Amino acid sequence: MKKILLACSSGMSTSLLVTKMEAHAKSIGDEAKIWAVGQDKAKQEMAEADVVLIGPQMSFLKGDLQKEAEKYGIKVDVIDMMAYGMADGKKAYEQALSLIGDK
Amino acid sequence: MFDKISSFLVPIAGKLNNNRYLSVLRDAFMLAFPLTVFGSMVVVLLNLPFLNKFLNDGTIATLSNTFGVAQSATMSIMTVFVVFGIGYYLSKSYNVEAVFGGIVALASFLFLTPFTVETASGEVVTGVLSLDRLGAKGMFLGMISAFVAGEIYRKIVQKDIAIKMPAGVPPAVSKSFAALIPAFITLTIFLVIHAVVALVFETNLHDVIYSVLQKPLTGLGSGLIPTLVVVFLIQLLWFFGLHGQIIMNSVMDPIWLSLSLENLEAFKAGEQVPHIISKTFMDTFTVGMGGTGMTLAVVAAILVFVKSKQMKQVAKIGGAPGIFNVNEPIIFGLPIVMNPLILIPWIVSPLVVVIFTYFMMKIGVVPPPTGVVVPWTVPIGFSGYLATNSLMGSLLQIANFFIVFAIWLPFLKVIDRVNLKKEEEEAKAAMANQNTDVNM
Repeated sequence: MKKILLACSSGMSTSLLVTKMEAHAKSIGDEAKIWAVGQDKAKQEMAEADVVLIGPQMSFLKGDLQKEAEKYGIKVDVIDMMAYGMADGKKAYEQALSLIGDK
Repeated sequence: MFDKISSFLVPIAGKLNNNRYLSVLRDAFMLAFPLTVFGSMVVVLLNLPFLNKFLNDGTIATLSNTFGVAQSATMSIMTVFVVFGIGYYLSKSYNVEAVFGGIVALASFLFLTPFTVETASGEVVTGVLSLDRLGAKGMFLGMISAFVAGEIYRKIVQKDIAIKMPAGVPPAVSKSFAALIPAFITLTIFLVIHAVVALVFETNLHDVIYSVLQKPLTGLGSGLIPTLVVVFLIQLLWFFGLHGQIIMNSVMDPIWLSLSLENLEAFKAGEQVPHIISKTFMDTFTVGMGGTGMTLAVVAAILVFVKSKQMKQVAKIGGAPGIFNVNEPIIFGLPIVMNPLILIPWIVSPLVVVIFTYFMMKIGVVPPPTGVVVPWTVPIGFSGYLATNSLMGSLLQIANFFIVFAIWLPFLKVIDRVNLKKEEEEAKAAMANQNTDVNM
């Protein structure tokens, strides 16, 4: 089971992507837990996740969240802008998988 | 060039967003948010324009007196929640027992608040707190005293001069003892401040902070030019893909909210609403039209006039969220971010709309926002009505919609031509590939 956390300002715009990513995961038979939170919750929710993806409009959070993520040994990255804008679940999901690696 | 500016802006945005005090302030306002929205909705219901058609004035007055408490207990004393929130979240950010930080901040603020009210006839009533000191007028003193109290409190807790209880004492008991010393010291400091101000200067900090700090700052914030500067900066930040409001609002919210609260107090009292620019104005007339940059009109323009497949698809994805003023799909999908062709309409249309809206309210065609809190996710048309308590507010939003539409259209057509050309070439290339496949 892959656990992917998305974070943006209030968790609203990233939640759009969550449904698309879930649909893609399901279509390729992956079991995944994907959820979106606002930036204030990101640090505590991180404990449950395998990887954290940030909405591009909050790219400036990366440094701060990365520091926290090191405690759990997980990676943090900014979602590709076009994938985010087009709500491209496949691309974002693949980005998450490549960050999780072989874990 | 854009990349250079971006690499310069990102760290600044990060610093502002992650600044401890600004993020505590943001969280504290969020704490008050559900309460103020509830209070606002009750105000809206009590002021429905057709209410006086089938209820007589006596009934309306009774209703207002009975249900008006919903507003008095929420928006009118918003500073109380914000003060508690600041104490709470500030302590939490230092990993100090947060709820004690909250109440110490609240008590410290109340120490500075006069427990007397002077009536219109000059009579002084003792043993009462006036609502406006706990709301609109006390906002800045509340924020300052909460931050100062919170800082003193956590420093003493961290010095660890708290009373240590032997093992076996229930945790709640030892916790309440541990809270004693830091709370005592913080409260003593505030009591002394109050005494000095009251006895030596014969005044109170409420009046001082209000006239020295709050009034000048809110006066500045309610001006058209400063507002245009803020809107410009928000658009510019988004152009570089950064969340403009998160960054600018953490600075502007105290000012805008104070203006909203002052408006609401006047509206409730049946007086002329004093300010045009306020939190409600910003949320309803700059964000509430499809999101930042008022992109619902852009979605419509694309669906009607644009042929490029890629743009049409973005508009389709962005349509439904756009109705609720979420427009990241448009910003990153069109894209708006770092797209030189879009820079001009992106920056110009919100500025034009703000100026137009401001003057429509200034000359009295549309009433200024009453100060009720309208969540920024309320769709266009509805939010305009809720904000101004008038259908003119909705009409103004629709007029604004067409202003944005008209400014964007020529630029969209240019982008459309560029995109169509690209799509055509891609189709040709794909065709050529297919042909070679067949030949092989």
